[in-house]
Amino acid sequence: MISAGNDIISLDAIDITRTKQPRFYSKILSSTEKNLYDQAEFTTIPFENFVWLLWSIKESAYKYLKRIDPNLVFIPVKFIVTHLHVPAGYISKKFGSTQIENKGFEGMIAFKGLVTIGDNTLYSRSLMYRELIVSTVNRDEDFGKTCWGIKLVDKPDPQYQSEIASTFLVERLQRILHLDNLVINKNPAGVPLLFKEHEELPIPVSLSHHDHFVGYSFQLCN
Amino acid sequence: MTRTEILNELKKVFAPYTSNKEMLAGINDQTDLIKDLKINSANLVDIIIDAEAKYDIEIDYDSADKIINVGTCIDVILDKLNQVK
Repeated sequence: MISAGNDIISLDAIDITRTKQPRFYSKILSSTEKNLYDQAEFTTIPFENFVWLLWSIKESAYKYLKRIDPNLVFIPVKFIVTHLHVPAGYISKKFGSTQIENKGFEGMIAFKGLVTIGDNTLYSRSLMYRELIVSTVNRDEDFGKTCWGIKLVDKPDPQYQSEIASTFLVERLQRILHLDNLVINKNPAGVPLLFKEHEELPIPVSLSHHDHFVGYSFQLCN
Repeated sequence: MTRTEILNELKKVFAPYTSNKEMLAGINDQTDLIKDLKINSANLVDIIIDAEAKYDIEIDYDSADKIINVGTCIDVILDKLNQVK
């Protein structure tokens, strides 16, 4: 079963002081992940960004697997990021746009990771700008059929953001699928599903919002 | 400490993380933290840390996964307070 999972973190909305406190980050990172940060390649990444990068990967994995197992509970330390690599040429730079949409991560400076929970292993791709971190996960290492988008919004109100994120996603799907009247509804577990009128379409979608950013990802079947 | 007392104190704990003040004023055991109060998942760790500090308890991972709504949050706090006694 294919699925989709993404997450977005506004770095302007995080509490840096609190994130650096062991009692806080120890509820997100496992001991092996703390050791991961000590690798030489992470010296240019602030610790608070590392913590929220891993959070976004874990939350993406949770969303991906929640579609398959509706009873799954999100306990961050049980989602273990076993591999994570800082991309060559990475430098901290501004988002510098109001929105970005793409298919896959070819040619992009993306963090590549691997996250496991129980018997499940998922690949991750993350982008880190000064203002935000966005992650998406996939069962396959090839992200060529993973479509995603990030949008800057003017209000941090959760209900408004939720509507903007759905509209942002639906507009992209309508362009790609050449269909209209697409809508997103959530199932009882809170997982977003794609419908054309009353028929559910077999394209798994994922939505995320935080502070002034919204994002989506979806997985094309062919 | 009664469930009602903890519920009233939790309103102050949740306040910084929800803009839905009307819903917050009327929370009950069934109020879902994410679906009803619209608390961002990224703030759930903040709430656990704030509750730990307020009640001088430690909420472990297995207990944290039970915190879905206000009622289960109160259950976990009462359970931890009873362990301290």
